Amino acid sequence: MSTRRRINYPLIGLWIGLVLSSLIWLAPFVFMVLTSLKSTADVNNSSIWSLPQEWQWHNYADAAERGDLWTVAWNSTYIALIKVPLGLFISAAAAFAIARLRFKRHRALLIVLTLGAMVPVQVALAPMFTTLGSLNLLNSTNGIILPYLAFGIPYQIFFLYGFFRSIPADLDASARIDGAGNFRLFWTVMLPLAKPALAALFILDFVATWNEYGMALVLLQDQNKATVPLALQAFQSQFTSNYGQLNAFIVMSIFPVLIVYLLFQRYFTQGALAGAIKG
Amino acid sequence: MTSIATAPPPTPATEKRHRRRRRRPRPDSFLGATPFLAPAVVLYSVFLLFPIVSAVYLSFLRWNGFPTTPQKWAGLDNYAEIFTNDTVFYTALRNSVIWVVLSLIVPTVVALGLALALNRRLLGRNLIRSIFYIPAVLASIAVATMWAWMYNPNAGLINSVLTSLGGESLIQDWLGDPKIALYSVFVAFVWQTTGFSMVLFLAGLQSVPEELVEAARLDGANPRQVFRHVTLPALRPTLTVVLVLTVISSLKVFDLIVGMTGGGPAQSTQVLALWSYSQSFINHNFGAGNALAVVLLLITLALVLPYLLWTLKEDE
Repeated sequence: MSTRRRINYPLIGLWIGLVLSSLIWLAPFVFMVLTSLKSTADVNNSSIWSLPQEWQWHNYADAAERGDLWTVAWNSTYIALIKVPLGLFISAAAAFAIARLRFKRHRALLIVLTLGAMVPVQVALAPMFTTLGSLNLLNSTNGIILPYLAFGIPYQIFFLYGFFRSIPADLDASARIDGAGNFRLFWTVMLPLAKPALAALFILDFVATWNEYGMALVLLQDQNKATVPLALQAFQSQFTSNYGQLNAFIVMSIFPVLIVYLLFQRYFTQGALAGAIKG
Repeated sequence: MTSIATAPPPTPATEKRHRRRRRRPRPDSFLGATPFLAPAVVLYSVFLLFPIVSAVYLSFLRWNGFPTTPQKWAGLDNYAEIFTNDTVFYTALRNSVIWVVLSLIVPTVVALGLALALNRRLLGRNLIRSIFYIPAVLASIAVATMWAWMYNPNAGLINSVLTSLGGESLIQDWLGDPKIALYSVFVAFVWQTTGFSMVLFLAGLQSVPEELVEAARLDGANPRQVFRHVTLPALRPTLTVVLVLTVISSLKVFDLIVGMTGGGPAQSTQVLALWSYSQSFINHNFGAGNALAVVLLLITLALVLPYLLWTLKEDE
């Protein structure tokens, strides 16, 4: 049996092209990590690709202290840990009602709710500032959770609505015959079925919340209430010439998100897909 | 798909009984749905809808945003001001339009190309996919900081690479030159967003029927013809989604510009979202800031509302 295969030159060319472009895509990361371990003199005097003359690991500790990393990381974590599960629960309940309890005008409600996903948040920044100000909720990590929840709802409802719609109708019917009311149906039948969708949304929403900048900029002006992106921006404008520490701070600020991505890759792409392309 | 069977029309005899029973919330009635809807609807109305409606109201006032200063009714003055006196507005509008148009083309085409290439069986395919996708999970402000550092005129990656490749004549002050700053920032946007569109396209490619591709090949179609007549039509829904999401994200561009140029130099990277913010919170002109927000809102709605209505209509 002859297994001699023709060498597929175009395919090899394509592969080489892809590898080269992905290396270019990675270059900013490599450059950032290398710089984060150099002293300022080293950055200014030697080639960008050379390894650090002396590895300045203390850049990380120094940057963490200068940028108040632990305070802001705690603020971001606190916000995400409350906002994400609560938001998912609220959206799941609403999506369930719209998809499975056929009340009148459910479609109109869905349109109004999902419209919010299309609106740039900057449209609402100034009134949001005055509203939260009059509720005494400015500069409060609890306060910012409320608009975060509101702006997360449209996308999550849209996503979960599609999911709940795809569950066969017989399931409700048999649950109802067994005497289940709306709450039982939601809690014991629908929510467990939605676990994969909820997991995907959980990860996506965690990352989105961790990364949010515009609303935090307006609503959290007090420095010790700042979140990670605010601290990063402040670090950049204050310590412009200390390249090593600046890059160390960027690395630390994106670290949690990278870990989440690497651990939950599968859910990431799944979430991106299911949300955008309706089944 | 209806989950609840519709009841037969009531006969006169049973009508009275029915009416009495209807007072109790039936599982499919609006009352039964209320507890599930209430938290979402309340949050959405108070912290999303209400601010948007207020933006419209505030756009008719002259006010600096401080609770202690009185608000003065200004009618359409703020709008008149924007359209006749505010040169930054026209720069911002032009830049937003450039940004939307460029991002409909550049990242979309690159993402489609990558998806087509990475849809084949290749060594290290998953790793390469991840490399292109990872920038999409980073905070825009982190991307901005990274790229500001890449563009650093003295020690940054880009100028250093140009120098070592002998392209010293190409060296630029990437973010400091008003002619090119907007495009420099846009490159960072491409780096950040292409991976996401690529993943959407990869998903769309799963829906291309394998048999159809095979059949076309057997009929002697070359790869370009297969793409044009089989792949592309199957990708149309995905393409629509990608384009709509791209429009939305381009109109929202804010963090990247704040982090890289702050709108400068000389307003050359100003966009509507940032100019609205700056008018309200830096120049303390809430009226103008909100009038700009309304303009941004109207542009967004004009571009995406047709799509939303179309999607939900199909979903009978």
